[in-house]
Amino acid sequence: MSQTDGRAVIEVEGLVKIFGSDTRAVDGITFSVAPGELFGFLGPNGAGKTTTIRILATLLNATSGSARVAGFDVTAEPQRVRKALGLAMQTPTLDAFSTGRETLDLSGRLHRMPGPERKKRADELLELMNLTSVAKKLTGTYSGGMKRRLDLAAALMHRPKALILDEPTEGLDPQSRTALWEELERISGLGTTMLLTTHYMEEADRLCSRLAIIDNGKIVVEGSPEALKRSMGADTVVLQLDGTGGDDRDGQVKQIQERLGDLVAADSVKSHPAGVSLAVTNSSTAIPELLRRLDGDGVHITGLQMTQPSLDDVFLKHTGRRIRAEAADQPIMMGW
Amino acid sequence: MTAFVYETYHLGLRTFRRFLRVPSNFISIIFFPLIQLLLFSQLYKDIVQLPGFGEQNSYLAYLAPGQIVFTAFMAVAWSGYGMLVEYRNGYLDKLRSSPIGRWSILAAEMVPLFFQAAVMAGIVLIVSLLLGASIETGVGGFLFILLISGAFGIAFSGASFIPALLTKSEQATGTFSLLLFPLMFMSTAFVPQVMMPGWMQLVNRFNPITHVIEAIRSLMTTGYDWSAMGKALISIAIMGAILQSLTLWAFRRLAS
Repeated sequence: MSQTDGRAVIEVEGLVKIFGSDTRAVDGITFSVAPGELFGFLGPNGAGKTTTIRILATLLNATSGSARVAGFDVTAEPQRVRKALGLAMQTPTLDAFSTGRETLDLSGRLHRMPGPERKKRADELLELMNLTSVAKKLTGTYSGGMKRRLDLAAALMHRPKALILDEPTEGLDPQSRTALWEELERISGLGTTMLLTTHYMEEADRLCSRLAIIDNGKIVVEGSPEALKRSMGADTVVLQLDGTGGDDRDGQVKQIQERLGDLVAADSVKSHPAGVSLAVTNSSTAIPELLRRLDGDGVHITGLQMTQPSLDDVFLKHTGRRIRAEAADQPIMMGW
Repeated sequence: MTAFVYETYHLGLRTFRRFLRVPSNFISIIFFPLIQLLLFSQLYKDIVQLPGFGEQNSYLAYLAPGQIVFTAFMAVAWSGYGMLVEYRNGYLDKLRSSPIGRWSILAAEMVPLFFQAAVMAGIVLIVSLLLGASIETGVGGFLFILLISGAFGIAFSGASFIPALLTKSEQATGTFSLLLFPLMFMSTAFVPQVMMPGWMQLVNRFNPITHVIEAIRSLMTTGYDWSAMGKALISIAIMGAILQSLTLWAFRRLAS
């Protein structure tokens, strides 16, 4: 981790937010994000991700605990936190009656960027986000993906020390999502420190250098996606076998158990609709050896399928549930 | 202070653009006053012969000041809507997480209303002049009318901001604006005070709309009447102070 000044850009310690008398939306969260890192909050809707973000963005006061952005406390020095922060919320927050360029210009003005720099930065971001051709159109006419990209550009105008993104790809179609992932990777590549929340596992897996799985207001586990998945143990390998042995699957299982011997745990070798499945601790080194041993009479391998544990498995292990794409946790507007 | 002015100016330009770029805004504001001006001036043409209208012999000329104020009324009657929409879609949060003053956000919603009300009232004033009304006080009076209309607009806008910020409901805000229409209809927009029943005359003594209409009427028909102008400005100031301090309170409550 390249910590130029040895200090995390985002530091959260023992953060608690209680709504009403006993709803603990955030229940003692501690984490930090180092300069240049892309840190992710993975969790289902209602886990406390948005509440944490709102506290970091100075929109909500914590009940207890502390949060610092770029070294400034969110309660003691909110104005300096706001200067250091770029924020993009769950749904793009744009003025439908402003053009793309006007949106960026206003964002720059609110951060007191001087005129020429504002123009240069807006040009640069419009180009980066592929919005130059629609810069003069009202944002109300933009597609969902374009709105997201402009919202992101507006958050990046003043070169924030920390970029906070709440569910950046929520509600996007798969193509726009992949495109936005590429943008986010590029922004991260330029050295921007980022914190994002998501309930999409592929998103967390692909983008984040480190992530925390959050559930019921608590961080249940933290680490790099690879480390988290590795902690789950073995990969699953399915050997697809020649149909001729189909009537004697048990025999094949036995045969494979004997041949692999010390390489895999004998009890992990099981019959599988396509052939035989087995668990391998380190598949990348074990598979060549495995194939070498099985090459020979009696076993005809026609295909091989390898499944690594997913973040969903990690989530399941730590919370006992799977992340589902639940309905958004917006309260229904009642009254009046 | 300079920060407040800078932020209010640039955020205010955005608010004004939001208004200007929806053509139906213009129509919804001036349609009703213009219809009343055109139809009622024909329909009740002879009403001016009744005692009470004094020397006024054109009902159109009598009607014009009331419709000018009604235009300013319409220009701000739904002003809380914009902020409510932006509260709902998160834009307000985006502004709150920017390094700017809280009050700039509110001021940027209000200050453009002065121009909105003044310009719209000016359009109806010009139409009245084309239809045959006149301004006794000339160009000076014209500018005074715009100033009074704008000031009335900005002061009265609190009547829409307060329900919007407190109920956070578009329907409630719209309904509340409708509840204020009787204030307009009971004013001296259509008939002089002497022709009203006693209780209505009493209400009108405290109806700021009546005082604003009378000041504009004097500018248009008789000349500078500083006592009428004074009454108008004082009632605008009192109404503005009450409504807008409640707005400040409601805004603080919403944005804290």
